[in-house]
Amino acid sequence: MPQVKIIAKNFMDMVAALPAMKLDKLYDNAFICEAVLRSLPPLAKKYVMQMLYIDVSVTAKSLEEQVLPDGFSKHKVAIDRLLQLRIFVQSIDRKRETSYKLNPKFQDNLQKYLVYGGSLPREPMPTNITVRLPSPEELEAYAVDQWENFLLQLVTSAQGEKQMGFSSHLLKNFQRGLMSSRENESPKMSEHGFQFLLMDTNAQLWYIIREYISSAQDRGLDPTDLISFLLELSFHVMGEAYNMNSLTEVQTSAVKDLADLGLVKLQQGRKESWFIPTKLATNLSVSLSDTSARKQGFVVIETNFRMYAYSSSKLHCEILRLFARVEYQLPNLIVGAITKESLYNAFENGITGEQIISFLQLNAHPRVAEKIPSVPENVTDQIRLWETDRNRVEMIPSHFYDDFPSKDVFEAACDYAREIGGFLWEDSNKMRLIVRGEAHQDMRDFLRRQK
Amino acid sequence: MASAAPTKLYADDVSLVVVLIDTNPFFWTTSEKNSSSLSFADFISHVLPFLNAIMLLNQLNQVVLIATGVNSCEYIYDSSLPHQQSADGKMPAFYSEILTKLEQFVSKDQRLAKNDSSLTMSSLLSGSLSLALCYIQKIFRAGPLHPQPRILCLQGSPDGPEQYVGIMNAIFSAQRSMIPIDSCVLGTQNSAFLQQASHITGGIYQKPAYPDGLFQYLSAVFATDLQSRSFLRLPKPPGVDFRASCFCHKKTIDMGYICSVCLSIFCKHHKKCSTCGSNFNQSQQDASSTLDHKRKTPEA
Amino acid sequence: MAVVNMRAKYKVNTKTPGVPGVLKMTDEKFTFNPNDPRTSAKLDVGFRSIKGHKFSKEGSKLALLNLTLEEGGYIFEFDNFSDRNTCRDFVAKVLGKLQTVSSGKEDAKVVSEKPVPLFDEQLSTAEMERRMKLLQEDSELQKLHKQFVMSGVLTEAEFWATRKKLLNSEASRSSKQRVGFKSTMLADVRPLTDGRTNKVTFSLTPEIIHQIFAEKPAVHQAFLKFVPNKMTEKNFWTKYCRAEYLHRTKNSLAAAAEAAEDEELAVFLKHDDILASEARRKIRRVDPTLDMAADVGDDYLHLPDHGILRDGIKESNDAEHEHYKRTLSQDLNRHAAVVLEGRTLDVELGDTRTVAEALARSKQGELSAEASDDNASWRQSERVSRMTEIEDLQGPRGLPIASLCIKDPRDYFDSQQANALRALGDAGGGPKAANCDLSPEKAFESLSQQILKLKAVGLDDPIVKPEVSLKVMNTLAQPSGDKFFLGKDSQDEVLDRLPHGTREELLHHWKSIEELLRHFWSSYPITTAYLYAKVDRLKDALSKTYPKLEALRDSMQSDYRNQVGLLVRPMLQAVDAALAHAESEKRSTKTGARPNGLS
Repeated sequence: MPQVKIIAKNFMDMVAALPAMKLDKLYDNAFICEAVLRSLPPLAKKYVMQMLYIDVSVTAKSLEEQVLPDGFSKHKVAIDRLLQLRIFVQSIDRKRETSYKLNPKFQDNLQKYLVYGGSLPREPMPTNITVRLPSPEELEAYAVDQWENFLLQLVTSAQGEKQMGFSSHLLKNFQRGLMSSRENESPKMSEHGFQFLLMDTNAQLWYIIREYISSAQDRGLDPTDLISFLLELSFHVMGEAYNMNSLTEVQTSAVKDLADLGLVKLQQGRKESWFIPTKLATNLSVSLSDTSARKQGFVVIETNFRMYAYSSSKLHCEILRLFARVEYQLPNLIVGAITKESLYNAFENGITGEQIISFLQLNAHPRVAEKIPSVPENVTDQIRLWETDRNRVEMIPSHFYDDFPSKDVFEAACDYAREIGGFLWEDSNKMRLIVRGEAHQDMRDFLRRQK
Repeated sequence: MASAAPTKLYADDVSLVVVLIDTNPFFWTTSEKNSSSLSFADFISHVLPFLNAIMLLNQLNQVVLIATGVNSCEYIYDSSLPHQQSADGKMPAFYSEILTKLEQFVSKDQRLAKNDSSLTMSSLLSGSLSLALCYIQKIFRAGPLHPQPRILCLQGSPDGPEQYVGIMNAIFSAQRSMIPIDSCVLGTQNSAFLQQASHITGGIYQKPAYPDGLFQYLSAVFATDLQSRSFLRLPKPPGVDFRASCFCHKKTIDMGYICSVCLSIFCKHHKKCSTCGSNFNQSQQDASSTLDHKRKTPEA
Repeated sequence: MAVVNMRAKYKVNTKTPGVPGVLKMTDEKFTFNPNDPRTSAKLDVGFRSIKGHKFSKEGSKLALLNLTLEEGGYIFEFDNFSDRNTCRDFVAKVLGKLQTVSSGKEDAKVVSEKPVPLFDEQLSTAEMERRMKLLQEDSELQKLHKQFVMSGVLTEAEFWATRKKLLNSEASRSSKQRVGFKSTMLADVRPLTDGRTNKVTFSLTPEIIHQIFAEKPAVHQAFLKFVPNKMTEKNFWTKYCRAEYLHRTKNSLAAAAEAAEDEELAVFLKHDDILASEARRKIRRVDPTLDMAADVGDDYLHLPDHGILRDGIKESNDAEHEHYKRTLSQDLNRHAAVVLEGRTLDVELGDTRTVAEALARSKQGELSAEASDDNASWRQSERVSRMTEIEDLQGPRGLPIASLCIKDPRDYFDSQQANALRALGDAGGGPKAANCDLSPEKAFESLSQQILKLKAVGLDDPIVKPEVSLKVMNTLAQPSGDKFFLGKDSQDEVLDRLPHGTREELLHHWKSIEELLRHFWSSYPITTAYLYAKVDRLKDALSKTYPKLEALRDSMQSDYRNQVGLLVRPMLQAVDAALAHAESEKRSTKTGARPNGLS
């Protein structure tokens, strides 16, 4: 079974992975502190609140004492997170006792926030300068449009079609992980790419942003700047116009890239130009925690495996084509069927049955989404069955041991194999044992020691 | 798996905190003279950052502020309503909004007091509790997705015995809807009402030993969301006084007489129930005479 | 005082005929006065000398009671067993009582000096057994019983008077179940053929005859009519079996022919008229509101090729000789009805004639009871009218309710408020004093000013001083003080922490104090000398609990002593309250009028 490699990693993981110097620099910015605090697990938030006005170190023991036995794992997670993000600064005294202290910059920013309130990163432009600002609906439509356009480009370029007006370096970056381009061949979508398409918008956005930031270094930019700008962007008010002049050079180029993705909309006035953050941008900090704004679904699956997708989007059509046979298309309707062949095609491409099922469930048309289950059970079962059809035989490279000198040695070997997780099969009567290939070296060492 | 199950719109730690603040002028003016306790201004300057902190913790968190006056109660602030965002540098916009509303409320409360000359020491806690419960009910009925609600009572003035029934009713309806009532008592005495309220609804009861560290109590104890509370050892009250009070002298009693009709409690035997008017004396004589019949008397 | 007078014969031994006379028993002694005053069999014996008693088994030839001495004894023969049982139970009680007293050693003296009037209720053995059983099952109860009843603090009757519920539930559990009919059908009366001859043998037992009578009223009727006037019993049953045999062989033609010849035989072959009329009567009594339509679809018998197999042959519909045929379903229904009715006879099965007569009597009784049950018909008609009522024509059917009269609640609350204010004033001069010199206007003013000030100046930064924060955090981290244990939970914890033995002892003390107090308080108001004595007894017992509790507390190690003291205190308080009440009551009776009933 192919392992899923793309994990929509938490944005904060990336922040946490930054070197200490850069992290401390990030905390200069009050928004970052705010966004980081919000991203913490609940228990970690509680510890921060508790320590907010404490200016001395607090022993780890005194924090642990507050935790009930069943909450201990949560406590560990919270403390680890706080240390990773350098919100807690750890110190170990002579008696080898660990104690924590809040990061002074972080603490100071939050204290200020509580007394003076958070200010906006930049003032929106007065309405008399900005003309014909888009309505929230228009803005939303624009964002969705841009985003789908972008995705479509990923898909269609895989099929060798001509590229549209995207900044090519950006696209190339994204395609690096999603496409496999062999020499003398037009780029083809890799299995990661297919999986990517089936993810929900937020997960896709994270992935793209992550790629974008990590590619920043190649372009000679400091990822810290980008991170702080992206977080800052999420604190802007959606639909308000902000002057481009207030941006640094790095930020200006970033905004242009983000406009391609639909995170902001750029507008040009008579003298000035401005950018308008869309929902995608303001949701960026929301998506740091585990929430996501649900899109309306569009797919109806019938028990006879027929599929009706109420969509005019070309992207949707392309996505559905990944695992279904599209039969005909009406202006607002795509009709198709899920067949064994179409699914086998998807499985070949590395898409798993579970992904298809969850895509169908996530995008169920509102009329069927109310029902439980939203996708008929016979269809989901059949998808799983067809998938397992392909996995009837599993090959595991392994080693076979026999001729054990005694029952004791045999049993010790079995136990050891279980311990290291390499155990596959045993026959205690005939004293035969099969162990995973990768455990062979350990087994050999072990057996040698037995002698 | 890359594609997660449908993500919840509301995480477990999203909370709705309804904060009830006591604006009893008698309590605050006496408290001001006492060096160890807070003035109203200090009190508010601890509470406002606390509200801000709640909203800072999660952008879906919601805060509602209700003022408990002597003659009336009122919603002061609701973070779910649209508000002005700008700040004047001195304090966030919603702080000044709250202060303005509070001032209006206090003067309104005063006007009402003039109409009614009776002097009451206690605030209308039953009223503000009811307002809070109504608000939460509205949230409950709006749809299946809602933050976890809880109520926080910041009470200074002593219990008003005349509100006993109202407060108990509010407590029981909070219990039914599984809404914890946290209480933080700033007065000199423990509040039996709030002790019971927190005990029954599973909230936290605190009587800060250092009133000037109120914010620390609020942020360390009361800001903790309901989910995290199940993992933490939070301060427990030393004990709750469950003893009932008699209806005639308001004495706390261990043993007493109970009206068999209306369940009123008395510390002494009465001829008549003062609540429902049932006549005890009659029935007792009846009982004793029938007892005479029932008990077999030995032949003398 | 309880006295039992019973006619009996006094016997020196079981063989002699005995002297008729009257046996009189009291708590102390029993006397026997022979009818013939000349005989020397007069007896006057105290129960103290009696060591035990024996009695003959119920159902044996003679109803005997033997009161045994160290050597020998007195044997009485009674006219019947119920007389004997009354005396036996009485003796058992008196002896039991005497034994407990003598086992109580020193206490026995006290009791004998002022014999407590007891056993004014007649105890049956069943009752005694029930009590014994309860005591055995509940060790807690046994402990209490031993402690108070054996020591004479409470009498047996007093002890059980507060536990009527226990006894009743025990009694209802042990109610005897009567044996009903077997649910197997009479098909068991199978003819035995020996194969060689044409002879067919039926064997009938009294059990089966009883069942036949119950299920076939016609046979029953015929038996009463014919036997022994017209034919012998043997003849009767032969005829019956012949008829049965004809049925069984499904030879309806032969049956018809034989019936024509023999009118007695015809009785058995024809449909049972009595059954039919009974069925009709039952149908009339069927609840008219029953929804019969519900079962209409259940009848498959009219469909072709359906039917019930009996003895391997399918019953076919043969209309011609319908009269001489019984269907299986009829038999089944009849049998089921009889089984459900149950066996209503208490006569020993054996003599067929008596069984038949007894059955007839009980039938008669049933019928008359039914006829006299006007109530039933009235209830039925009421039910019908209720089921078929037309709702909009009905008047409101509310029950007459006396509304609860609550006086103006303000009375209560206003006084409450005043009290609260007073209490507050008592609590400490501070708030009250400050309050007095403060007019509402001033108070409100200062509040508004504070708000304005805050608005103008802004918030303090930092909100709290770090050192205060730290102080607060440290106090919060400390486990909250365990000064008070008022809450229910905390008390349980205390009890759990105590050593097991102490805990048991404590609980037992509490139980016994509870028991004593229950009796104590329930004796008030004291209206009789009996109650007066009882209260005295209880008071003594209660005052004895003090040293016990104190000893328990002092025996504890210092770390538990305080906690045990906390637990013991409410017990002591309850005892104090009781004793104080008794004192004050005594004083008032001395000065005032004596309670009625005492002179």
